[in-house]
Amino acid sequence: MSRCRAHRTVLVALVAALLLAPGAQAADPAARLSVAVDRARISTQLGHKFVFRSTITNRGSTAARGQIAHLNVLSLHPGVYVDPEDWSSQRTRYLDTIPAGGASTVTWRMQAVNDGDFGVYVTVLPNSGSARPPATGPAIRVAVAERKTLNSGGILPLALAVPGILGLMVLGRRLRRGG
Amino acid sequence: MAAVEQVAEQTVRERSAPGWAVVLHQELRDLWMGGRGLLLSFAFSILLSVIAYLVATNSALNFLEHRESVNVTLQVAVAVGGLLALLAGADAVSGERERGTLESLLLTPVSRSQLASGKLLAALSLWLAAFAITVPYVWFLGRGISIVGDALITGFVVGTLLAVFLSSLGLVVSLFAGSNRVSLSLSLFLLLALFAPTQLPSSAQKGWAGELLLRVNPVTAGEHYVGKIVVNGHPWSEDVSWLLSPMVAAVVFAAAVPLLGARFIQLRGGVSG
Repeated sequence: MSRCRAHRTVLVALVAALLLAPGAQAADPAARLSVAVDRARISTQLGHKFVFRSTITNRGSTAARGQIAHLNVLSLHPGVYVDPEDWSSQRTRYLDTIPAGGASTVTWRMQAVNDGDFGVYVTVLPNSGSARPPATGPAIRVAVAERKTLNSGGILPLALAVPGILGLMVLGRRLRRGG
Repeated sequence: MAAVEQVAEQTVRERSAPGWAVVLHQELRDLWMGGRGLLLSFAFSILLSVIAYLVATNSALNFLEHRESVNVTLQVAVAVGGLLALLAGADAVSGERERGTLESLLLTPVSRSQLASGKLLAALSLWLAAFAITVPYVWFLGRGISIVGDALITGFVVGTLLAVFLSSLGLVVSLFAGSNRVSLSLSLFLLLALFAPTQLPSSAQKGWAGELLLRVNPVTAGEHYVGKIVVNGHPWSEDVSWLLSPMVAAVVFAAAVPLLGARFIQLRGGVSG
């Protein structure tokens, strides 16, 4: 009987600790939010534009105010420098209040700037600056096909030929005038 | 006999041609057959070659940087092409005055406004040559990303508006300058002042005051429009309001050249002629 009471006490203490802990999910409105995206994979070509939508759902019992959605992009393989600003000029969205049980959809417009495999995901965090982990949606895998854009080797003949032709014309003009 | 007939025919043709066309023909001959235009074009091509080589051999270019490299090449071409037209305009009257050839020019049966117009059109030929030189570079850099056509058309439109404005500005300065050195110095100073806002940090270019400054200045407005088309891939109509100040400046200054030329192309006391 006393062992049973001890178990119950431990259980109550654990639940209380979970509820009162700083990272407790129920205490943070952001933790009540979930993020979903409308696709899992995008295949495109270098330079092409694409769009996806994320839906932020408030599963809590109170309205979620002051939420910020942020778009991130990274290369899934090392050696590719990714500047997220190049991929999307609007990566941060300040959301309107999401009522309890409601949802907010954000459309993200992007352009494939590098070729390769990339991960794109959306996070939502409160404007309170809380240190708690933000709500993060599933990653979308973006496969960007390579497109040969510049044959840098061919520039040298051009860079030499144009001034060369004009230089010969200048020289010819000088010689003709001198003669 | 045939040569005499040819000369006579040419004389008749020149007599029937309007005054500005005769001046234009003569100025083009001086500029291009004299070798000055070719020399400036040669220097221009070296500059573009260096820039194109530097941007093309950077193998780590991503798609947007690739578009930006086309934009940089085009903007340099527009800016330096405008500079060449400005220099030709700034030398047009004060140079003739200083070389002592203005008096004989004034004795020809061509009105002074037509004289100024002919000189303005001849100065613009430097821009046209600069643009022709730019075409192969833009084609090479932009062919893989399908922006050659848009880049060339935008560059030609904006560059022509700026060249008309800058060569007219140089010619107006040349009308009033006491010497050719003053005319060239003042014109260059004005050009640098017009380009100065492009060096402002991006934070200073934002807000209504920053945008107004960029929009009012024909040079910055024109360069902004080129960037929006070439880098951001915007349609022609989206940023067309940025072309307002280059258009107004080109029309106003081009109209001012014959009007002011008719009144102020004159010999000055103390200047040999």
